[in-house]
Amino acid sequence: MKRRKFLKLSVILGASALSSPPSLFSHFRGNKETPYKVLILGMDGLDPGIVSRLVQEGRLPHFKRLMAEGGFSPLGTSIPPQSPVAWSNFITGQDPGGHGIFDFMHRDPELYLPVFSGTASQEPKKTISLGHWKLPLERGQVRLLRQGKAFWQILEEHDIPSVISRMPANYPPATSQQKTLSGMGTPDIMGSYGIFNYYTTEPGEINPDIGGGRIHQVYVIGNQVEASLPGPINTFHRDRPEATAEFKVYLDPTNPVAKIVLDSDEFILQEKEWSGWRRVRFNLMPGQSVSGICQFYLKEIRPHFKLYVSAVHIDPQEPALPICTPKEYSRELVSYLGLFHTKGLPADTSALDNNVLDEAEFLHQDNGFLQESLAMLEFELKRFESGLLFFYISSTDQRQHMFWRLTDPEHPAYNPNLAQHFGQEVANIYIEMDKLLARIEKFIDSRTILIIMSDHGFNPFARGFNLNTWLFEAGYHKLRNPWKEDKGSLFENTDWSRTKAYGLGLNGLYINLKGREKLGVINPGSEYENLVRELAQRLEEIVDPATGKKPIYKAYLAREVYHGPYIEHAPDIILGFNWGYRISWASPLGKFPPAVLENNGQKWSGDHMGAAELIPGTLVANRRLLHPAASLIDVTATILHLFGVKIPPEMRGRPVLNLS
Amino acid sequence: MGKAKIKIDKELLARIKKYASLAGYSSPDEFITHCLEKEVAKLDEAESEEEIKKKLKGLGYIS
Repeated sequence: MKRRKFLKLSVILGASALSSPPSLFSHFRGNKETPYKVLILGMDGLDPGIVSRLVQEGRLPHFKRLMAEGGFSPLGTSIPPQSPVAWSNFITGQDPGGHGIFDFMHRDPELYLPVFSGTASQEPKKTISLGHWKLPLERGQVRLLRQGKAFWQILEEHDIPSVISRMPANYPPATSQQKTLSGMGTPDIMGSYGIFNYYTTEPGEINPDIGGGRIHQVYVIGNQVEASLPGPINTFHRDRPEATAEFKVYLDPTNPVAKIVLDSDEFILQEKEWSGWRRVRFNLMPGQSVSGICQFYLKEIRPHFKLYVSAVHIDPQEPALPICTPKEYSRELVSYLGLFHTKGLPADTSALDNNVLDEAEFLHQDNGFLQESLAMLEFELKRFESGLLFFYISSTDQRQHMFWRLTDPEHPAYNPNLAQHFGQEVANIYIEMDKLLARIEKFIDSRTILIIMSDHGFNPFARGFNLNTWLFEAGYHKLRNPWKEDKGSLFENTDWSRTKAYGLGLNGLYINLKGREKLGVINPGSEYENLVRELAQRLEEIVDPATGKKPIYKAYLAREVYHGPYIEHAPDIILGFNWGYRISWASPLGKFPPAVLENNGQKWSGDHMGAAELIPGTLVANRRLLHPAASLIDVTATILHLFGVKIPPEMRGRPVLNLS
Repeated sequence: MGKAKIKIDKELLARIKKYASLAGYSSPDEFITHCLEKEVAKLDEAESEEEIKKKLKGLGYIS
């Protein structure tokens, strides 16, 4: 497999999109009148334990009524319970062996390097050079790597209409004429999972080498700041520079107000004010540009100038990359709702984790996204007359990630002062979801089957497990210079000729297998089998001396838990962490920190990489449940069953709703 | 195209001459150039690795 250069995510695609004429909103498929309308709300990370507790406390009255009317149950999640994996289970009705998504990131066995699991991009191979310019003679490609048919593709074959809004693990959207908008996994204009920009006259306050953001030192000269917003790599230029958009900030000499001039756009912000969406155009060559949208937040004017600019999202009015099907769907939404977030998971957890945004600022940003989402949901509900509507909400997941620390005084990142103000934020997002149920009640008629589901639950991330350090100490991983153990990353210090196993990704352990890995040393057959079993057993026996607990609740063997044609691409062992544990921050990218186990003092303090048995998702419906132990793939089977569509043999789920 | 000379250990040069011929290169120069090109390409790729890391970090799950 060739290394994928996400840096080089092709803006050529954008050039093609820009040249397409706008068309009428008339190419949508699925016309059949269906006896039921199926509304599915996907609330990422909604935990059944927290739902139960808050219902008992009387804080979720609409959930309570729905449960009494229909059913409520934990919903079996994927192995591992990572969102791209879990939602892919739901999309295809198959486990990872059938859809091929095993983690947020996979590894290239030729190079032992991480690659995105969900998407591959390829630049045009045929180009022509003209001076400094390199002109494409064909289109670049961005490809969805998830395998298996999506349930809405099956519905489409039966002319059953679907609207699939912000589905995770569906970028670029699977081929369809149904209305679909991609969700988690959709990149920003840079081709990344999200890179914010922060302009400050006090750069020392922030670690410049942070993930998910760039820190720019700027100077105030004569009450003016000149700055540059980075954009995509300009693949039209021979030297492949980063495209940029210059902007100026004019500070009011006395008042905490500034005017920002970005191309032909001018707007005024007060200190602590957000701009709303601003369009930014990156010029690539004469006649070619790419458009993005972003939001500015003027954090401080004096004594220090501090300006936050969100990740630049793909402009839904003229998308440079494919974010929807049919291609006019995002433009249709803009025409009714205005500009909207297109990057998957837009809440800027990285800015909060690195103190660029504080808790209140983060919540303001995510609330804006949530309200925008609810407006989009209402818009679709108003015209929902037949078939299926799926709508995804990420705020449930993102806020639990960031605020779990303030719910638990035992958590290493607990802060009593912050807990006074933000200790209820996890509960609050559940209450927001309860209000959502009240808000959409008027759209639920007797034909509507309402399903609320989540991909996984949540648990604290208090301790991190350095898998690669453990493998090194246990003798399964060899370093060329052991005294440089914690230096570097991406296994740059590894002696592959003596290494038996390595950890990459958030739950995966791979054997350095002959015939699969480029420098494999373990023979397939009994040597492999014995090593996998030995490792699984030893991992499950590890005890954390600080807590007396076992960090690994279950070490799953891929071939025992997966089914389907893609098992050979799976990690050999999938770590199911115990309550409170997760892979460490450094291990997923091949680092070797000194300690096998360490406290997590980050604001990112709740997570979901545990054993599937420990953190199931949630299923609530306005119909009774046939069996209490449903899993994600059962919901997929239920959808097909509700519309009278035969469940394909590769789908292993069974219908879960009682319609009598 | 400009030319430049580089120094190589005699023993290594002998091995290069031997393997260049065995591997079907027209000359040791061509073999050396090809090897160097491959290595430089790897370093170019390494730049992308850093970028991949940064972009993965935007997810929030790794640092």
